[in-house]
Amino acid sequence: MEFLASEQIAVIDLASGEVTEEEFTDELCQEKIGGAGVNLALYKQYEAEEPVVLGAGLFTGTMVPGSSLGLMTAKSPLTGTVVHTPLTQYAGMELKYSGFDYIVIKGTAAAPSYLWIHDGIADIEDASGLWGLDVWAACDKVRADMGDELIQVLGAGPAAEKGSDLACVMLNYWHGGDRFGLGKALAAKNLKLIAIRGLGLLEIAEDEEFVEQCVELIGQVKSGAWAGKKGLGDLGAAVGENGLADWLAPVLHRSRSDFNTPFAANSFLFLEGDPAELAEPANPEPGVLLAGLDGALGLMKLGLTVAEAGDVALACAKAGLDVSGVASVCAAGGTTEAGAIIAALEDISGPVEGLAGPFSPWTPKQSVFADFGSGDEWWTRRQAVAHIFGLDPLFVLMCPELTEEKLLELASLGTELEFSAEGLEAVIAEVAG
Amino acid sequence: MDALAAYSAFNRELARGVSTAPPAELVGLTRGESLRYPRLGIYTGGGSSHSWLWLAEVFERLGFYDLKFLDAAQVGAGGLAGLDVLVLSGGDTFAMARALGPGGAEAIRDFVEGGGLYLGACAGAYLVMRSSKEPLNQFNLVPATISNLSKILPRALTLPEKYTNAYGCDYVFHPVREAMLLQGQGGPMGQDEFQAPLYGGPAMLPADEVVEVLASYQDFTPGTRFLAPPDLAAETLLGKAAVLRGRLGEGTLYLFGPHFEHPGFAGANRRLARAIYQDMPGGRAKAAPEKADQLAGAGAKALIKAIKRQVSNSRITAVSLEDHPARWLIGDKVYEPAKLRVFLEAIWSRLRPLERASGLAQVPGAEELPDLLAGVTTGIRALKRELAAEDDTTARAAKLFQDLNRAAALFLRMYFASARLGHLDPPAARRLH
Repeated sequence: MEFLASEQIAVIDLASGEVTEEEFTDELCQEKIGGAGVNLALYKQYEAEEPVVLGAGLFTGTMVPGSSLGLMTAKSPLTGTVVHTPLTQYAGMELKYSGFDYIVIKGTAAAPSYLWIHDGIADIEDASGLWGLDVWAACDKVRADMGDELIQVLGAGPAAEKGSDLACVMLNYWHGGDRFGLGKALAAKNLKLIAIRGLGLLEIAEDEEFVEQCVELIGQVKSGAWAGKKGLGDLGAAVGENGLADWLAPVLHRSRSDFNTPFAANSFLFLEGDPAELAEPANPEPGVLLAGLDGALGLMKLGLTVAEAGDVALACAKAGLDVSGVASVCAAGGTTEAGAIIAALEDISGPVEGLAGPFSPWTPKQSVFADFGSGDEWWTRRQAVAHIFGLDPLFVLMCPELTEEKLLELASLGTELEFSAEGLEAVIAEVAG
Repeated sequence: MDALAAYSAFNRELARGVSTAPPAELVGLTRGESLRYPRLGIYTGGGSSHSWLWLAEVFERLGFYDLKFLDAAQVGAGGLAGLDVLVLSGGDTFAMARALGPGGAEAIRDFVEGGGLYLGACAGAYLVMRSSKEPLNQFNLVPATISNLSKILPRALTLPEKYTNAYGCDYVFHPVREAMLLQGQGGPMGQDEFQAPLYGGPAMLPADEVVEVLASYQDFTPGTRFLAPPDLAAETLLGKAAVLRGRLGEGTLYLFGPHFEHPGFAGANRRLARAIYQDMPGGRAKAAPEKADQLAGAGAKALIKAIKRQVSNSRITAVSLEDHPARWLIGDKVYEPAKLRVFLEAIWSRLRPLERASGLAQVPGAEELPDLLAGVTTGIRALKRELAAEDDTTARAAKLFQDLNRAAALFLRMYFASARLGHLDPPAARRLH
């Protein structure tokens, strides 16, 4: 697979310590397109060895608007089913340029380990110096050891090491879209984290036309209904949660977007001092990033102030716990005071109600800002498309311009392969379960 | 087919045997002799900067694969035997002279007197010009002096660290950097104008009529960067010799002020090729090809993977240091962090063809490359930590550049030896054209 790909699949056996490489072929791309389609095929191929499969979508890291998504496919400790957890922010892009299109992690390491994925090399490293560290400390240490602050870290925190069902895959210091407890799945393999960095390049088959069409598409997308909106406050308002923006306001510092995703969905809460203060704070990270509407709403509905919610989210981030799951469990158990919630994080676990299907419910289950679809079936199909092509699962709910027809056209331009609506239909049906 | 590709094609012909009808548009021969494929030696030893990597790059584009990379000890210990051409590029002239010592000076003199062709650019030109200063006085091979010499150091407009070098009680100063317009004055340089970049090289004055001026500095270009006031730069450079040709015994010496081997200047590159064809020794029996054992299969793949692992590790940290303001004075030259990557890219950009090659030439010392490069990785990571701690890193940087230089020379030796064995097609695989 010469275009939009690195042509390599890594198969990492943690039990034996062996890493083998397979070719990512035109045939596999033609049949499964990319992202969740290929991830699921590889999961099934190695199913007996309880794999965790990492992959990027066909367009991840390209100029296609919203092209931020990587994904992790594995059996969820919470649902017992195979799920696709979104790897947002900058993790998906880095994975795409890592020199591997897909990474199969199978078996269990004999001792705490971590993976160092870089420029087409997959190294299994000793994690004895990382095991037991909180998410932030582990991220800092691996970046310092490997000598680069831009390394993207998919991490399992102390909660995962203790076997909590709410232990999610963390993206560097922050939460992403994992609601399925895949941090626990990593820790069960004795895997503390996966560090990724790549300085690779992607070739595009019909490069000029691909770029021209992307530029045209960006122009169309930019004038969409989402234009001028940002952050979790506006996102909440779009789905009827009008109080969220006012609740966030006292500590809201900035909104941050994911790679090449025009809508800045993530809200950074400034927990030390005045968020309007322009001076550089002494503490390099004086707050926490809220990266999911469900988590923010869950904490708000517990009756916490936003500052208290920030403290809870920060403690969850360091422990590697899903904020949304924590809010859900605390609500069910009647724990609604911030100090008590933080104290309970030490041994909190599931179950979490309402998880179903292969895609994370971290996005609203409807179109957002623009009205172009609703209902479970529509949402599931839209998520499947995002997870196949590597597009931000939230942004695709805002952009009717990102049609399946346009994505298929770009796929053919980018790869020189022929993709059909029927082929896409089959992959959607497969990944949507 | 572009001009350099035409040279590459012609050299492939030459590599298969003697050409009795060299195309005049490529080689410009006037001596009416047949041509054969030359063996070129590139000096990589003490005092050389990274610019010898440009030589490797350009010779690869031109199709000169019969390259030998020599350090100072090899030059003095019979390493010039069998060479047709010896090339010394930029660096620290005094350090080069000290490294080569009297034995190296004698070996170079013997090489030229015996019919060899010496090409010296920048420091490689200064080295063999007339000088009374120790240790340069051992290398007085061409009766020429320089005009960029002053008893009073003129004011520097910018880049003071690149502006001057002490020369006894005087100063060698470098009034401009980057592209200059040159005027060809015959021989392989032709009669037309062309551009070549100047990075501290000399403006020359022939001191004897047996020395021919083949090109002179004609004018500045929009890309010229002035380090001295323009009027002083004009007075120092314009009309002065940019390329000289001298004779010694049976052999020939070319002195280039600008870097004709810079890969961004195809016109200068072509003239460099023509100089080789024009004045390489004729009539001698072709030197026997260097013998190299072959490494194939799993052993070859493991070696390349081990090299790739460490180059990737080093490169990732080196990239993260590129914007660091650190500068190191090593010998008489100032180095900056971006130079680290130059050596690494010279290896990295050639790994792909070797990964796909049917086999490798097993050159002595190649098996040391993984350990040597692992040391570079450790060194670059330590350098980053020490820079963050604001420690003095000069000794660390000097050792790193020394190791990088050695690793690049060793790797390129293996690469070009593999190319000569027909295991890879570098220009096609690296998409050089």
